[in-house]
Amino acid sequence: MNVINYGQLLQLIWPEIILTVTALLVVAIDLLFFRNSRVRVRFLVAATIGSAGCVAAIIKLLLASAQGSLLDGILLSNPLTHLVQIALLVITSVTLFLSVDSTFTAHVSEFVLLLLLATTGMMFLVGSQDLLVIFISLELLSLSVYILAGFDKRSVRSSEAALKYFLFGGMSAAFMLFGFSLLYGFSNSTSLTRIASAIHGQPLNPILIIAIVTTVIGFGFKIAAAPFHFWAPDVYQGAPLPSTAFIASGSKVASFFIFFQVLVLGFAGAEGSASLLHFQSGWIPVLVVVAVISMLLGNVVAIVQTSLRRLLAYSAIAHAGYMLLAFVAHTQQSLASLLYYVATYALATLGVLGVLAVTEKQLGNDTIHDLAGLSRRAPFLSLCLAIFVLSLAGIPPLSGFFAKFLLFSALLAAGPGSKLLLWLVIFAIGMSAVSLFYYLRILKRVYVADPPAEAGEIESSLLLRVIVGLLAGGVVVLGCAPDLILTQILNAIHASGF
Amino acid sequence: MNWIVQNLWLVPVLPLLAAGISALAKRKSRTLAASLAIGSMAFSFLLSVWAFAHVLWLRSNGQATQQVFNFRWFQFGNDWLSLGWVLNPLTAVMLVMVTFVGMLIFIYSVGYMEHDENFTRFFCFLALFASAMLGVVIANSLLLLFMCWEIVGLTSYLLIGFWYEKPSAAAASKKAFITTRIGDLPFFLGIVWLYAQSGTLLFYNNGAGCLEHASINHLISQTTAIGFCAATGIAVLIFCGAIGKSGQFPLHVWLPDAMEGPTPVSALIHAATMVAAGVFLVARVYPLMSAHAGIATDLTTSTALQAVTWVGAITALFGAVIAVAQFDIKRILAYSTVSQLGYMMMGLGVGGVAVGMFHLITHAFFKSLLFLGAGSVIHGCSGEQDIRRMGGLRKLMPFTFATYTIGMLALCGFPFFFSGFWSKDEILHAAHSWNISQAPYYMGAFAALLTAFYMSRQMFYVFGGKSRLAESSEDHSHSPASADHAHHHGSSAPHESPLVMTVPLMLLAPFALLLGFLGTAAWPWFQSFLDDTQLTVNFGALLEGSMLPVMLSSSVIVLLGLGIGWWIFGRRPIKSAEAPDNLGRLSPPLFTFLGHAFYVDALYGATIITLNTQFSKISDWLDRWVWNGAVKTVTNIVLGLAHLDNFIDTHVVNSGFDEGCQSVSRSGQILSLLQAGRIQGYLKIVAGVLIVFTIILLWKAKI
Repeated sequence: MNVINYGQLLQLIWPEIILTVTALLVVAIDLLFFRNSRVRVRFLVAATIGSAGCVAAIIKLLLASAQGSLLDGILLSNPLTHLVQIALLVITSVTLFLSVDSTFTAHVSEFVLLLLLATTGMMFLVGSQDLLVIFISLELLSLSVYILAGFDKRSVRSSEAALKYFLFGGMSAAFMLFGFSLLYGFSNSTSLTRIASAIHGQPLNPILIIAIVTTVIGFGFKIAAAPFHFWAPDVYQGAPLPSTAFIASGSKVASFFIFFQVLVLGFAGAEGSASLLHFQSGWIPVLVVVAVISMLLGNVVAIVQTSLRRLLAYSAIAHAGYMLLAFVAHTQQSLASLLYYVATYALATLGVLGVLAVTEKQLGNDTIHDLAGLSRRAPFLSLCLAIFVLSLAGIPPLSGFFAKFLLFSALLAAGPGSKLLLWLVIFAIGMSAVSLFYYLRILKRVYVADPPAEAGEIESSLLLRVIVGLLAGGVVVLGCAPDLILTQILNAIHASGF
Repeated sequence: MNWIVQNLWLVPVLPLLAAGISALAKRKSRTLAASLAIGSMAFSFLLSVWAFAHVLWLRSNGQATQQVFNFRWFQFGNDWLSLGWVLNPLTAVMLVMVTFVGMLIFIYSVGYMEHDENFTRFFCFLALFASAMLGVVIANSLLLLFMCWEIVGLTSYLLIGFWYEKPSAAAASKKAFITTRIGDLPFFLGIVWLYAQSGTLLFYNNGAGCLEHASINHLISQTTAIGFCAATGIAVLIFCGAIGKSGQFPLHVWLPDAMEGPTPVSALIHAATMVAAGVFLVARVYPLMSAHAGIATDLTTSTALQAVTWVGAITALFGAVIAVAQFDIKRILAYSTVSQLGYMMMGLGVGGVAVGMFHLITHAFFKSLLFLGAGSVIHGCSGEQDIRRMGGLRKLMPFTFATYTIGMLALCGFPFFFSGFWSKDEILHAAHSWNISQAPYYMGAFAALLTAFYMSRQMFYVFGGKSRLAESSEDHSHSPASADHAHHHGSSAPHESPLVMTVPLMLLAPFALLLGFLGTAAWPWFQSFLDDTQLTVNFGALLEGSMLPVMLSSSVIVLLGLGIGWWIFGRRPIKSAEAPDNLGRLSPPLFTFLGHAFYVDALYGATIITLNTQFSKISDWLDRWVWNGAVKTVTNIVLGLAHLDNFIDTHVVNSGFDEGCQSVSRSGQILSLLQAGRIQGYLKIVAGVLIVFTIILLWKAKI
């Protein structure tokens, strides 16, 4: 039995401690001093404090020592986890500021508290290679997010979404825990590396197969891959906008990262093969099927959506499909492309939701139809929306294009001559062509259609415009100079010995 | 490495910043846009002077005058694509010329465009143009040069069509864009070919660049299927780009139409800088142009340079002949520009970089002086551009008249005291001693005669006699500028332009006079600076060999041309705007033929454009019925699938739960209803997936 070194423990979880303390501080300050202020002021104060906490945590992460591990990876820190954690913190603070203009609740501090706690959960999730910690932090994240989804108590839709999300989430968590317990029984350890060494060199047995499938179901729910996606459209549509933003960006980034780790580290040796001639059981065939279904269903169903939020949900399913391809390749390069993809995807999604935050408030709903002539009513926001949407569609020189390009080239580089990978890439490219249809439909509405008569200019707060502008700038800059973060990611992956 | 070499990129980037900021500025922020543009040009000018001084310093210290700075842009495959800039005498001279002339024209534009409501946009485009042009000048990579080249083309398009509400301007801008693009296509092919052969597009890179010995020798040794070496093929293709941009025959048709743009634009882009970019391009890739497979002596001329010479000579003569029969003050200057650009090309072909570039620089000064003068005249005559309706402006616009005369004499190449004389003489002298043929010399000499003639014709029309403006005042011309000017000045009486316009004229005039003395045969400073050779003062050179006869004969030619001009147009003042042209009376059909510029436009219209229209009609038909049909079919299948999927998703899978949830929120009996509710359908799928996957994997694992 190893002895826990508490000093080291403290060192490793400093950022999480900072976040938790910030969360409590937000509640205290808000309830003590700002109870009677206007909601916007309270949100502004809470968001500022929360972001300050995020920034402090980022600084702590930047200063932290490069490598550290506690008890076989129960907690660990290396450049790669740092990078992902920093990305999560950035996303959280953007989400905090996106919520400043919202009016859906008077319980400001509770909302921010939950957001920060969910972030804490994500930080732990990213910084662990141990099934138990992964599960617990996943639950911390999920439980916070369920409440966030239902935070708009006055809205029927919000409650419905939260309930659906909760029930579905609980079920998949059960599946996942079942899988984890099988793994533990099989390998006598909860550490991913030990599980891998137990699996290694043995033929696949039924226990392991069930563990694989249940794990994929559990994480597939978190990343909204088909056919575990049923919650997504309702939650995207029903949840308060900042919650949607958080679910669509931060939670995705963390889940994708840990899913990749669990499969590639924990199930190393059980990859299998999905090509028809050399079919071999393992997690790759499962993922190939899930990825193909996600791309097909997400893109095709998105075509007929009339609500922008639902459309985003289906496009998220499609993007999850693309990103799952990186798992199929499971090389260093594909991990890098996955991280780049999910980060830039998060930026663009946050941006679209940021624009929606304004239009929903002014237009009263989120139908694509009502965006008619937005370019003349809010030129700046429309330009940003165009940048985000085109990036999601993968048009150069925006970051979405480069993400897809990197992903596909990583895939082809992973298995030169592999027919399966080639066909997957061809299928994915074909599907992105389909996706262009519904993305451009949004822009057509915004730029070509005439605004309704007597429609005035759309007002938006300066803060929101700054944030949306920054996000758009990020999408453009990362697309033009992907090396800015790609080299960081690659260095971090090499340094972490993935 | 010196600071200025490392930071030469600032020269184009400053105007680019100015353009960017004024693009974001509001329409009303006129002062901001103008001061940003002029300020950035002034800074660029200072930096250019610094760069020029640096080259001079290197030269005086006996060091290599060429310094390059390369950097890597991005990687594809195993190759890095590098860009960079080069500072050598050619760059330095062009930088100073472009920034100085540009700055003066920017200042002039403040006055000329004063009443235009899109003032801010104008300066934004001008600054963008200057930035791209400076990029062309400093580029050390053919790719970077090409990119800036295209931006230059774009800004030219934007500025020609600046008064886009005028159909003729919109058409002219399209014509300019498309015609130059026709030249750019072979240019681009040349770039691709060059890259395929030499593996780099950097001009100079410590021996590895495409203009350096190793690469040139390699290019010469490669022979193409039709016999000549790769170097010739590439050079001719690149020259096609220059033909388009520099308005050489047969792609000259866009340049006269480009005069639809505001006059400062004509002066800056279509006289001084952009159109000279083609000449500059040939000068820049001169090692490639002059590469030939034979024994390397100075006496043989490469095939590419022969092509350059012939195209130049034909253009020089062609432009001059047409200019004789034009009535629009700016079109005369435009054809004159075409002709002078031909001279430059010819100079490059027969004499080398220094000869062509010398004329480029002097021409830039006196032609922009002439254009700005013409702009001043147009401004003063309330937008009138027809020289038949002008006249008598000598007294009314004294400053303009004086400076215009200087520019005109410089363009004619009036002996000894005007820059045009010395630079044109260099070209004629080089053509005279060309070893292939004497024809370019005679063509050039005849063009010089015509130049003197049509310029004197223009002078007598515009400045001589009495004002004929009043008699046509009811028949107002069409340009928005004219309406604008008339509106603001109230009366249509010709008047001198404001100081902001005449001062640049007065600043340019001395250069039109004096620049020639930098490159006389006796003291060929300019030539030795560009060619990096020892400078010797030798007054004897003026009298040596063929120099003296050429000089004397060209002086006689100029005087003759001016004399004929006076004889036909100056003897008796032109009385009425409606009276037929004195020259036209000699042979009306020929005059009309020339007036329509040999009907080249009509010829193109009847042949290439008709063919193109037919082809596009066929393509359109194919597109509508064949390709689109296929796409439509696929689309409909996908859409059908989408509806089906959506139907399944919402009605079959989701409906149970939705129903359940609606009643949940209505009644509040959450738990009981959920227990009895339809969540199963939802989760059944997940369970089904679990079972399916497990069975597949188990079955295939064959346990």
